Amino acid sequence: MVDTTKNTKLFTSYGVTTSKAINPDMAAKMISKAKRPLLVVGTGVLRPEILDRAVKIAKKANIPIAATGSSLNGFLDKDVDAKYINVHQLGFYLTDPAWPGLDGKGNYDTIIVLEFKKYYINQVLSGTRNFSKVKSISIGKDYVQNATMSFGTISREEHFVALDELIDLL
Amino acid sequence: MSNLTTGSFSIEDLESVQITINNIVGAAKEAADEKAKDLGPLGPSTWPGLATYRDDWNLKLLARYEPVITPMCDQCCYCTYGPCDLSNNKRGACGIDMLGHNGREFFLRVITGTACHAAHGRHLLDHLIEVFGEDLPLKLGQSDVLTPNITITTGQRPMTLGEIKPAMEFTEEQLTQLLATVHAGQESAEIDYDSKALFSGSLDHVGMEISDIVQIAALDFPKADPEAPLIEMGVGTIDKEKPFLCVIGHNVGGVTYMMDYMEEHDLTDKMELGGLCCTAIDLTRYKEADRRAPYTKVIGSMSQELKIIRTGLPDVIVVDEQCVRGDIVPEAQKLGIPVIASNAKIMYGLPSRDDQDVDATIEELKSGAIPGAVILDYDKLGEIAVRLTQVMHPIRQAAGFRTIASDEQMKEWVDKCADCGSCYLVCPEELEIPEAMKHAKEGDYSYLVDLHDQCIGCRRCEQVCKKEIPILSVIEKASQKVIAEEKGWMRAGRGQVSDAEIRSEGLNLVMGTTPGIIAIIGCPNYGDGAKSVYYIAEEFLKRNYIVVGTGCGSMDMGMYKDENGQTLYERFPGGFQSGGLVNIGSCVSNAHITGAAQKVAAIFGGRTMGGNLAEIADYVLNRVGACGLAWGAFSQKAASIGTGCNIYGIPAVLGPHSSKYRRALIAKNYDDEKWKVYDARNGEEMAIPPAPEFLLITAETWQEAIPMMAKACIRPSDNSMGRSIKLTHWMELHAKYIGGMPDDWWKFIRTEADLPLAKRADLMKKLEEEKGWEIDWKRKKIISGPKIKFDVSAQPTNLKRLCKEA
Ligand code: SF4
Ligand code: SF4
Ligand code: SF4
Repeated sequence: MVDTTKNTKLFTSYGVTTSKAINPDMAAKMISKAKRPLLVVGTGVLRPEILDRAVKIAKKANIPIAATGSSLNGFLDKDVDAKYINVHQLGFYLTDPAWPGLDGKGNYDTIIVLEFKKYYINQVLSGTRNFSKVKSISIGKDYVQNATMSFGTISREEHFVALDELIDLL
Repeated sequence: MSNLTTGSFSIEDLESVQITINNIVGAAKEAADEKAKDLGPLGPSTWPGLATYRDDWNLKLLARYEPVITPMCDQCCYCTYGPCDLSNNKRGACGIDMLGHNGREFFLRVITGTACHAAHGRHLLDHLIEVFGEDLPLKLGQSDVLTPNITITTGQRPMTLGEIKPAMEFTEEQLTQLLATVHAGQESAEIDYDSKALFSGSLDHVGMEISDIVQIAALDFPKADPEAPLIEMGVGTIDKEKPFLCVIGHNVGGVTYMMDYMEEHDLTDKMELGGLCCTAIDLTRYKEADRRAPYTKVIGSMSQELKIIRTGLPDVIVVDEQCVRGDIVPEAQKLGIPVIASNAKIMYGLPSRDDQDVDATIEELKSGAIPGAVILDYDKLGEIAVRLTQVMHPIRQAAGFRTIASDEQMKEWVDKCADCGSCYLVCPEELEIPEAMKHAKEGDYSYLVDLHDQCIGCRRCEQVCKKEIPILSVIEKASQKVIAEEKGWMRAGRGQVSDAEIRSEGLNLVMGTTPGIIAIIGCPNYGDGAKSVYYIAEEFLKRNYIVVGTGCGSMDMGMYKDENGQTLYERFPGGFQSGGLVNIGSCVSNAHITGAAQKVAAIFGGRTMGGNLAEIADYVLNRVGACGLAWGAFSQKAASIGTGCNIYGIPAVLGPHSSKYRRALIAKNYDDEKWKVYDARNGEEMAIPPAPEFLLITAETWQEAIPMMAKACIRPSDNSMGRSIKLTHWMELHAKYIGGMPDDWWKFIRTEADLPLAKRADLMKKLEEEKGWEIDWKRKKIISGPKIKFDVSAQPTNLKRLCKEA
C-alpha cells in the first residue's frame, strides 16, 4: 500500500510552533554546551524542594541566576550569583545584542527557565523566540510551547526526580 | 455644503414646503469653534487627527519606551490571502511583518476599548439630554477646570450637557479613522500602530470623561466629595430573606429607573438591589451628592458573576453593557432566574418586550415561557425589574433554587474526581484543582477554599471535566463560610479631584515630598488572588502615597479587613492628599485620574491646556510621580485606559496575564543615550536617571509590583528632599519584597542630600568603595561621581520646541 500518511507537514501555520519536548539528559547537554547560559527563575522557585534544586543547578553548572518576580529573597544566603530583574524586561533585553547582561559581560545565548506560571513565561518567550537567537530551555513541570526545548507536563513528584536527574548529569 | 451653524434662516419664495433639519453635520463643532475664540491661549493640537501627535510627541515617547512585542501565535488570518505564518518576523502575503501585525493586534484592542467608552458616553449623553435637556449645567464640584481631557484634546470647555456634543462627535469621527487603519494593506509599521494606539488612548480618556461627567452632573452623583458615603459591599451583605435584584455591567442608565421605582413605592428596605462590575459602583453614586443613607450594595467584581449566580440568590438579573459574561442566560435559567437585557449592545438573542404591556411581560417571565427579555424602554424596565424580583422571590424560594448543594451532593461530586489533570491544564489561573480534590476526598476541604479567592469563575475547568463535576460549584460550596463573611466597605465613587486639592498637593507632588500617586484601577484577572490589591494599597497608604482607585480594583481594595476589623476605606481619608485613599468611581472615572495629573500641569505648573497635549504630557512625564496598577487587567478597555495614561506620561504596571495584550513599552535602562532631556531654560541636554523605566510592563507577583511602582514614581524634577523620600521608600520596599539593595540605586543620586536620610553615611561609604565616587568626609559631601547633576531651577523637557535658545 502507498503510505499516504508520511507527509503531514502543514502548508501554512495554524496557531503556534511548539517546542521540542526533551528529557533531563538532553537538557543537561544543552546547558553544558551553552557559552553564556542564564538560569531564569520565577517566584514559584521559593517552594523549598525547588529552591534547593535550583541552587544545585546554578552551582554545579556554574550559571548565574536571573531571580525574577519576587524570588531573589530565596537566593541571598545561598552563595550563588543571583540578581533581580523583571522577567518581561529581561525578555526584551535578551532581544538586544547590545545588552550588557546582568554582569556587564554581554548578552546570553541560552536561558534555562524554571517555575513560572506557564502562561506568563510562554508569553515572554514568544518575544525571544520570534525576535532573537537566544535558545530557551524550560525545565519546569509544565510544557512551555514557546521555549526552544521544554520538559512536557509532568507531576510535581516526577518533576523533582527529573531535576535530580538533570543535576546528576551536569 | 452649507455654511450654516446653529440658529435660524429663511428661504424666500417658497410656499407649503416643510423643511426638517435634525442636525447639521459639523455644525456643533463650528459653533463650538466660534465660542472657542474666547477661550484664551491654545496649544498647537486642537481637534487632532491620526498624525497630529506623531512626530511632536508620540515618536519621542516611543524612542525611549520601546514597543516590546510578545505575539500570541505565529499566524495572521485577517484576510483571505492568509492565513500567513509570520514566525521569526516573516512577512505575510500582504507584506506586513510579525511586528507590524502584532502592533495592529494591540492597537485593535486599544481602539475597541476606546469605542466601548465612547459608545457608553454617547448613550448616556443622548439619554440624559433627552431627559434633562441640553442646558443642564455641568456641576461637578469645586473646580474651574471641568473637562481636562476634552479641553486638552479639543480646546473646548463645555459648561452644559449640550456643549459636550462636539467633543463626542469628534471622538466618534476619529474612531472611524482609526478603525480604518486595521484593514489589510493599510498601516503596516509597528511603530505607527503604537503612535495611533497612543492617540486612541487619549481619545479613550475623552470618552470616559464624557461618560462620567454627564452622569455626575445629571444623576446627582457625589461631586469631588472626599467624604462620599461608605457603601456596603460583598455577597455576605445580602439579606437572604429578601428578594434580590442583581444588576451586571457598566451603564447605570437603566438602573436609575429601578431605583426611582423602588423609592416611589417604598421598597428600599423590602428588597435588595446590588450590582457586579461598574454598574454596581455607579448605582451606589446615584443621588448621593448630598450623602443620603445608601441602600444599594456593591456585590463584587466581574469575576464574581458566575459565583453569585451559583449561590442562587439573585431573583432577577438585569444586564446592561461591557464585561458581562456570555453565559448569564443559560446559567441563570438553570436556577430559574429571569434575565433582562437592558441595553442594545447585549441582547443575548432574547425576545424584545418593549411593545408589550408590563403586566403581560411579568407574567410571561414568571411562567418561565421565555428565559428572559430585551427591555430597552427604561420606564418599563424600572417597573418590571423591581416587580418581577418580588414575584420571583417566593417562587424560587419554594422551588429550592436559593439553596446551594447539600453536603452529600458535595461528597458525591468530589469522589468522582479521577485526578486526570485536565482542569489544571485549562484553568487560566493554573489553580491546582486536582490536588485540592484529592485532599477533599480525604475530608480536607481547605485546599478548595484556598482556590476561591484566586478563581475568576470562568468555568473553563467544568467544560473539560470528563466526570462532569461542576468544579466551580464545588469550590464555592467548600468556601460557603468564607463567602458568608465577605462583607466590606467601599467609599462611593467621589468623581473628580477638585482644583483646590490639586493646589494643595501640587507642590508636594512636583517636588516629590508626597512620594507619588498610585492608581489602582481595572479588572479582576489577578495572577495571585483579589487580596493582592489590598496588600498593595495598604503598603502605599501607610507610606503616605496618594492611592486612587476605580472599578473592580476599588471594590477589591475594600473587601478585606485588618486585625481591628476595619477596611482600608475606614482607615484612610477619602481626599486627594498624602495618605488618602480616593475612590474616584467606576471605570469611566479613570479619566479623572489622568485629569488630576493634567490639572497639576495646568493649575500648578501653569501650562496651557487647550489643544496642548504634548506639553501637558511632557510636564507629567518629567514632574508628576504617578504610576498606575492594572493588576487584573483583562479587557480591551483596560488596554485603552492604560494606553491613555501612557500618552500622558503615566506608567502602568500590569499583572502577569497582561503579557497577553502582546505589546509592552519598556526602556533600556542601560543605554545612557535614552536618559537625556533638554533644560527648557537654554536647550542644553541634561542627563536624567532611568525613571520611569517603563510605560507599560507586567510583573509576576504583587510583591514584585510594589517596588517597581515605587521606583516608577521617581521623576527628574524631584528636589533633594523628594528624591531622598522616594529613594527611601523604594529601597525599603525592595529590601522587603525582593531582598537586599537594588543594584541601581546609585544612579538616582545627584548630591548627598538625595540619599535616604537614615542611611546617608552607610550609602556614602558604598559609593566611595563600590563606585569610586569622591567623598569629602569632613563636610559629608559628594565631591565627584554622579553622572546626573542637581539644579533646583532646571526645567526638564523632552520637547525641544519649548526651549528658549532652541
Ligand atoms: S493581512 Fe497580511 S499577513 Fe494577515 S492574512 Fe492577510 S496577507 Fe496574511
Ligand atoms: S472556574 Fe476557577 S477553577 Fe475553574 S478554570 Fe476558571 S478560574 Fe480555574
Ligand atoms: S478534570 Fe475533573 S476528573 Fe479531571 S482532575 Fe479535574 S476535577 Fe478531577
